[in-house]
Amino acid sequence: MPLWFARGLRRGIVTTRYPARPDRSAAGLPTPPAFRAGVIDRRLADRLVAVCPSRALHRDGGVLVFDVGRCTACGRCQEAAPWAVTPSGEFELAGTSPAQFVKQIGLVQEVGQ
Amino acid sequence: MSGGSRARAVAASPAARAPEGDVLAARLRQRVASQFGRSLHIRTLDTGSCAVCEQEIRLLAAPHYDLHRLGFFFTPAPRHADLLLVTGPMIRAFDVAARKTYEAMPGPKLVVATGACALGGVYPADAFVYGAVGEILPVDVWIPGCPPSPLALLQGLLVAVDRLAEKVSGLTFTAGGDAEPPAREAER
Repeated sequence: MPLWFARGLRRGIVTTRYPARPDRSAAGLPTPPAFRAGVIDRRLADRLVAVCPSRALHRDGGVLVFDVGRCTACGRCQEAAPWAVTPSGEFELAGTSPAQFVKQIGLVQEVGQ
Repeated sequence: MSGGSRARAVAASPAARAPEGDVLAARLRQRVASQFGRSLHIRTLDTGSCAVCEQEIRLLAAPHYDLHRLGFFFTPAPRHADLLLVTGPMIRAFDVAARKTYEAMPGPKLVVATGACALGGVYPADAFVYGAVGEILPVDVWIPGCPPSPLALLQGLLVAVDRLAEKVSGLTFTAGGDAEPPAREAER
């Protein structure tokens, strides 16, 4: 605090840069899921869509569409398929347009489709 | 003004299609961002949230996060506010109050939608809620999370004043590697 105050007087700027250092509390935060490419087929995708309580997931043909903005990081999809869905570890997710939040996840093509 | 909906509206209007209009708009945006960059007053607006977003917003003023070091301050009056931090799914009973709050703010002003409700996640539009803040107010920056942690809120506020670049558009949310599904699952 005193150092910060002295530097502010010297430079005429009292604000600081961000982030000064990585925050230790960030490790325990719940984060939106990351989907393991090459494991999720249409059937599993439909199950993930069914367990999502906040309409963040829907399937569009052979693509799983994930709206990060709608995700509440509840972890139900991770519970339903822990081998295919893991926490992404990303929490600083602010965006400047809604389209930035919509992510397309390619699904495995099953034989005979 | 950081390339949000308003910036797109400017770019789409015929008067601003000329190059000098673009240059002028860009310079204006830059000037607003530099003015807001180190002194920004925030008015929070709860449009029907469960108050967990408010708890996280309140934590911003705690010593650990200390948003005042970044030049951000909370103000109780929309007349003094540069930025409207909106939480909740925008209940229909609140739309007049939300519009009045927005209109009471002096321009230039920013609107930040905060939390999964405000981004349209939790409540679908029905007789009671609009379902997303963007239905009523021109949102500039969206902050996902349920609730967004104070760190996510700080990053969102800094994105709003162009002190940080957004990084969500670069994320794919796919994990690498091919883990084998358990045998029981593969049979199904």
